Amino acid sequence: MSKFRLYLEENNRSPVKQLWREFKRQHSAMTGLVLFISFFVISLLAPFVTPHDPYLQVDELLLLPPSWSAAGLVQYPFGTDDLGRDLLSRMIKGTSYTFGFALITVAGALLMGLLLGALAGMSKGVKSSIFNHILDLALTIPSLLLAIIIVAIIGPGLMNTTWAIMLALLPQFVHGIRNAIDEELKQDYVVAYRLDGANNWHVFSRLILPNIWEKLTIMATMAISTAILDIAALGFLGFGAQAPLSEWGAMISDSLDLIYLAPTSVAIPGLLIFTAVLSVNLVGDGLKTAILKRRQS
Amino acid sequence: MTRYLLRRLFLMAFVFLALSLLAFSLSYLFPGDIVQNLSGLRQIDESQRQQLISYYQLDHNILQQYLAFLTRIAHGDWGQSFASQQPLLQEIKLLLPATLELASYALLLSFVVGIPLGIVAAFKPDSVVGKSISAVAMIGYSLPIFWWGLLLIMFFSLALGWLPSAGRIGVLYEIPHSSGFMLYDILLADIDYRSEALYNALQHLLLPTIVLATFPTTVMIRFVRDAMLNVWEQNYIKTARAKGLNRGQVLYRHGLRNALLPVIRQIGLQFSTLITLAMLTEVIFSWPGIGRWLIDSIYQRNYPAIQAGLLVISTMVITINMLTEILHAFFNPLARRG
Repeated sequence: MSKFRLYLEENNRSPVKQLWREFKRQHSAMTGLVLFISFFVISLLAPFVTPHDPYLQVDELLLLPPSWSAAGLVQYPFGTDDLGRDLLSRMIKGTSYTFGFALITVAGALLMGLLLGALAGMSKGVKSSIFNHILDLALTIPSLLLAIIIVAIIGPGLMNTTWAIMLALLPQFVHGIRNAIDEELKQDYVVAYRLDGANNWHVFSRLILPNIWEKLTIMATMAISTAILDIAALGFLGFGAQAPLSEWGAMISDSLDLIYLAPTSVAIPGLLIFTAVLSVNLVGDGLKTAILKRRQS
Repeated sequence: MTRYLLRRLFLMAFVFLALSLLAFSLSYLFPGDIVQNLSGLRQIDESQRQQLISYYQLDHNILQQYLAFLTRIAHGDWGQSFASQQPLLQEIKLLLPATLELASYALLLSFVVGIPLGIVAAFKPDSVVGKSISAVAMIGYSLPIFWWGLLLIMFFSLALGWLPSAGRIGVLYEIPHSSGFMLYDILLADIDYRSEALYNALQHLLLPTIVLATFPTTVMIRFVRDAMLNVWEQNYIKTARAKGLNRGQVLYRHGLRNALLPVIRQIGLQFSTLITLAMLTEVIFSWPGIGRWLIDSIYQRNYPAIQAGLLVISTMVITINMLTEILHAFFNPLARRG
């Protein structure tokens, strides 16, 4: 449905501005972005905004029900757990573990992937062929299985989980980046630039990088949702964050034995994981559509 | 096609070589005594140790150790489990069918539900139906599977009490073990409570299958929808419409055939995700499969079992991946290049 245009206006805005215009039009994507930014801000400010100390055990208030039930207290909106710790504070603190660490993981994997992918994409012949075959193997092993094996070698813990998921995400990044670079190298403007005397580094930094960043962003958003789910899953299995850390997945497994007494303590952390992943996926889908529309216009 | 097959087989040989190297190096990477990690024996006296060292060729160089490892794996001597002190291959043979059964039903469900919904969503992408299918797919795509499983257990097992929450079949029924696939075993068994047992097994199967199928179904919906929308833009569709075929005819004769071709490849890709998710599902539903066994092995620091589990699961995933790739190339000549 193209609008009626009285004047033939040329759209000479920068690609980022065009992208933002297309992105803004999608309500679901904007909702996702708002949620994403709020999770990000909470994970940064978590130590300062918790109403109570997330690790303080109050003996008088064990298993306090949420505030909307008759026995609840308004100071503890979601109630307390079996050790008398405030659930709301724990969940806020957990944002920086599950969501924040997922961002760090993906950033690390992206940097390493960019390095390896660039090396693989810019090289040719036997070297890149061997590299490809190793990648194929790494891609076929499921990422969570790979992460579990790595955790089995280096031991459980939140930091080790981060390393493991980073390594497990790496193959798909390298693969995607390598393919993107391959596609770029076939373009005519790359040949023209080379004829002007540009070396590999020039081609990579001036032509390839600006042209593949859109693909990188989409890859990164998809990886963030995988990373959140994997961190939570490993925490749930007991391989990730250890007690007393209030990582969301670990919180669910902690309150599993209270599922009859306090179903909210299982339901709410899960809802948070779900919302976080949903926000990332909405942003990712919105970006994908926006990029497609920008290219078409 | 022959050239393509040869290339694929060469690639597969290479991948298996790399996988065996990875599995081989694991017993050196894991903490603890190398002889224990290789054999899986807990107590080893001095004479036995010497015997094992010469059996594993640990006094020779690393290449010979690797060759010894390969012959051992090929002969079916995978070592013993630390936990049960039973041969690992035997244990895996008992556990694998349970996982395969669950995973294949979930895969089947994801195809039966996902493909039609994806087609419907693509047929009218901007209608209420199309949009709500996309929204549901988005929600299912974002659900953490362990939480989703717990929610269903909380609702259907604890609150309503309709469905059991753990295991493959009620303890009342004794099913003689023949293939390891529960439904097949029940149908085969010579027992007079067959229909009750079948009903009970299906009840046990329902929740885990739904939980496990959620993610692949949503992936399938999104994939088929995108593929259909993509095909719908192609020129041959316009040509077919211009020829005078109506929407249904175009959909059946040109749309589906082209859009559903890449779906074959999805089987292989989905299978790898399914096995990972099956590990979580098995833990939640106490399903006696290889995923739960592997996770228990990690709790128990059962290193030989972790190694064997990695080998079996990866081999299975790689083989199915390769088979579907070849099948896809068989139907789609375009994929044979490259």
